[in-house]
Amino acid sequence: MKKEIPLAITFISGVLLVLALFIPHKPFGNLEEIFNDWYIIVSGFTFLLGIDSLLGYNFGKLKRKEKDAPYALVLILSFFITLTWGIVEIVRTPEHNPFGPTSTFSLYFYNSIFIPLQATMFAILSFFIASAAYRAFRAKEINSALLLVSAVLVMLGRIPLGQSAAPYVITVIFLIFAVYFFAESAGVTEPKIKIAYILVALIFVALIYPLGFVYFRQHIPEFADWIMNVPQMAGKRGIMIGIALGGIAMSIRIILGIERTYMK
Amino acid sequence: MIELLKKLAGIDRRFIYAAVFLATAIPILTKATMKVEPLPEVRKAYEYIESLPESSVVMVSIDYDAASMPELQPMLEAFLHHSFSKNLRVIMLGHWPLGLPLGQQALEKVAGQYNKEYGVDYVFLGYRPGVAAVIINLGKDFRTVFSSDYAYTPIDSLPLMREVSNYKNVKLLLGLEAGAVGDAWVQYGYARYNLPIILGSTAVSTPDYYPYMQANQVISVIGGLRGAADYETLLGITGEASIGMLPQSVIHLVIIAFIIIGNIGFLVLRRAKK
Repeated sequence: MKKEIPLAITFISGVLLVLALFIPHKPFGNLEEIFNDWYIIVSGFTFLLGIDSLLGYNFGKLKRKEKDAPYALVLILSFFITLTWGIVEIVRTPEHNPFGPTSTFSLYFYNSIFIPLQATMFAILSFFIASAAYRAFRAKEINSALLLVSAVLVMLGRIPLGQSAAPYVITVIFLIFAVYFFAESAGVTEPKIKIAYILVALIFVALIYPLGFVYFRQHIPEFADWIMNVPQMAGKRGIMIGIALGGIAMSIRIILGIERTYMK
Repeated sequence: MIELLKKLAGIDRRFIYAAVFLATAIPILTKATMKVEPLPEVRKAYEYIESLPESSVVMVSIDYDAASMPELQPMLEAFLHHSFSKNLRVIMLGHWPLGLPLGQQALEKVAGQYNKEYGVDYVFLGYRPGVAAVIINLGKDFRTVFSSDYAYTPIDSLPLMREVSNYKNVKLLLGLEAGAVGDAWVQYGYARYNLPIILGSTAVSTPDYYPYMQANQVISVIGGLRGAADYETLLGITGEASIGMLPQSVIHLVIIAFIIIGNIGFLVLRRAKK
């Protein structure tokens, strides 16, 4: 019974909600609203579970005197100070919402501690992104070279300085490729391949002016838009459709009781 | 020379961090602005809001928090300026509880500048848990989700809310998105109730929302700090986003320079190994 009851609840809820969508009349029509109300109420209680889990985990760290126990202590203290202050404000001014954004303490805590901390955490990302871009965007093969060139063009196309900087960036990139192919040709003994390498190098040099100084100087924003609207969107759509089909398959498995990992 | 070029493949990350810091801090301190040519999608969003009749009810969903504040707060403030200057009425709610005070502070600040009255010209509903369930039930009746506003005032005592029962009375939703709530707005708000939606998103989330724009499921997408700066330009105001354009441009160029330098080092190293 321990398994059968949850499975039955899941099956009945799932089937009823599917019916409610396709038969928007009584008694099914109201069901979705009722279920959603229940869902909203249950969602509220998940905060309690979250608090229980968070405190349990951090008290455990303190107990075991783990390396990062001081951080756990800061979290626990912050939690209880905020909670206590909230309760004190309820007692002092019952008509006032102590956890509302206009409460004096909450506002002070939010504006002076929470916002700077969270903004700082996120701002640190810019350092990591720059470092990661430097290390990851390497032209190791054709695919990664395409990714690298696309990334550079989108970055250029999306900034006001992009149009004026584009010719010089394109010149540098194309010169690097030209020098690379020219240097590669030196180590090749087969004449046809040698000529091919040199030709590719020359093509890169020849493209610098028409692409960099004529086309991209004028059209870099449109080109960045094209990358976003065509190749990027095609890939994104494929992923989204895949996720949606996967979601439907998983939902059917859960409703029918084939997928039971959520009960563990 | 070759040895020097090889070293370019392994620059110490502390040097990169220092370059990023300087490339961001110096332009920010100058507070210089740059002229931007608004992107077509931002212009489309602006024109849609322009076309709304006076007194229309628009809704804003605060689905971000302080981490995304630099990109989305200027967007929100620009939207509020636009709405109040056109005498649109604003209902604000949100799905990110920790971001809602940001929304409320901006709402009160901008509403004060236009002498707007709470309950008549704007309402702040606050937060209810359950994202998709909240969006679906709001489409049926706001009262099933919010019987009162954030300050426990019954919504039927607010003149603005007496005119609003569900999405049929709302001319536009602006979803300010730092995560996946925008998907829920499209999947439930638009798909089931035809709610007109403009999504304002962080630059990193923007590609996720482009398919909705191309499929006309949302009116438009305002993406990142650039989108916010474009919006400010269209409104003729100089806000935080416009000031952020120079640092953003410089940092993009610095990152591009590091990518190029890294590749020079990588190619030289690879050739040397051969």
